[in-house]
Amino acid sequence: MGLAFDLLLAGGLLGLALQVVASRGLFRSVVLFIALGLLMALAWARLAAPDLALAEAAIGAGLTGALLLSAYRALQPAEEAADPGPAALPRWGALAAAVLSGALVAALGWAALGLEAPAASAGREALARLGESGVKSPLTGVLLGFRAIDTLAEVVVLLVAFLGARVVAEPLQRAGPGPSAPGSGEPVLTAPLLRLVVPMGVIVAGYLLWSGGHQPGGAFQAGAVLAALGVLLRLTGRLQPAAATSPAERLALVGGIVLFSAIGLAGAGTASAVLAYPEAWAYPLILAIETGLAVAIALPLTLLFSGSAGLRWRER
Amino acid sequence: MTLAELLSTGLLGLGAAFFLTGTVGLLRFPSTFARLHALTKADNLGLGCVALGLALQADSGWVAAKLALVWGLALVAATASAHLLARCILRERGGTRRTPP
Repeated sequence: MGLAFDLLLAGGLLGLALQVVASRGLFRSVVLFIALGLLMALAWARLAAPDLALAEAAIGAGLTGALLLSAYRALQPAEEAADPGPAALPRWGALAAAVLSGALVAALGWAALGLEAPAASAGREALARLGESGVKSPLTGVLLGFRAIDTLAEVVVLLVAFLGARVVAEPLQRAGPGPSAPGSGEPVLTAPLLRLVVPMGVIVAGYLLWSGGHQPGGAFQAGAVLAALGVLLRLTGRLQPAAATSPAERLALVGGIVLFSAIGLAGAGTASAVLAYPEAWAYPLILAIETGLAVAIALPLTLLFSGSAGLRWRER
Repeated sequence: MTLAELLSTGLLGLGAAFFLTGTVGLLRFPSTFARLHALTKADNLGLGCVALGLALQADSGWVAAKLALVWGLALVAATASAHLLARCILRERGGTRRTPP
């Protein structure tokens, strides 16, 4: 039974992936990509990796999907004006690229199958010494304890991506979701839906953040849920795009990184090394860093979707 | 097989049947409204049956409550999105006159 389900899942993933790249319409590809992300989350859940499943569903399918749809919308008028169609790649070129890529994947798979599992891997060592990290969840222990430098760099990458998008998007007339159709009032269900969903989303984000210490969850998942709320509020017009980033937004954008770096650098004096925590303080410090990081992950993602430098509450 | 297991299996099967009907309707019905109708009715009922069937197998009341929460949230999301879709299609067709409340 389990095998049948796995085969169906693997087949569905491959089929969807093929459809995403092969289908004619751009819109169709985007929608199929979102479906691919959801199936991928299922696959991670089947592989007993709930952290990855959560992140894939929230960021891979949800936020990336929203970004792609928003980009698709911005592309529309240009596409109507002059539709060049898919880039003119000669058939033999596409075939050669497909054969070479297929051969590369097959060779990598062959090599990976031939590998023997090492007796002492970093993962086993991390699990064995989890007690030293100050948290009970192995993933959080690795992300913020043993490999904190990677996590710090990842969040910096997100900030740089946002800055890069701002540089590129500056001259764009329409980035992000446009205003709703003129003359249309707000749909009757929007306000009740928001009243129900937004508080629940905040609770879920807080729960994910807190649970990161002892079970799946953490800054990335919590940040993704917060960003999804931001997207919802932006789409329903509660948050309006702003031309300038407010001081509070600047603080939120860099706060997590600054806090992480400061605590990490202080570790050189108070603990054994840079990015190490004093033993008694490990858990509260990690929780503080995770809180800052969740905000530093949520805000750039929301702003990327919004296509603006800042956000303001709609004036009533 | 106990009564609860039997009931649970029956509900799961019924839920799967609802999902199948909804999908067939989504693929085969002619107009967008009809497709929306097929999708929302069948999916919400199907998910309800699946959630109830799983709740009967749950170890604790908490799991059952979580399943009920999942169903409730899915209902809210489906209602809102179906309403928005239908509204969008109505507007594209020139709209209907709205009676003031």
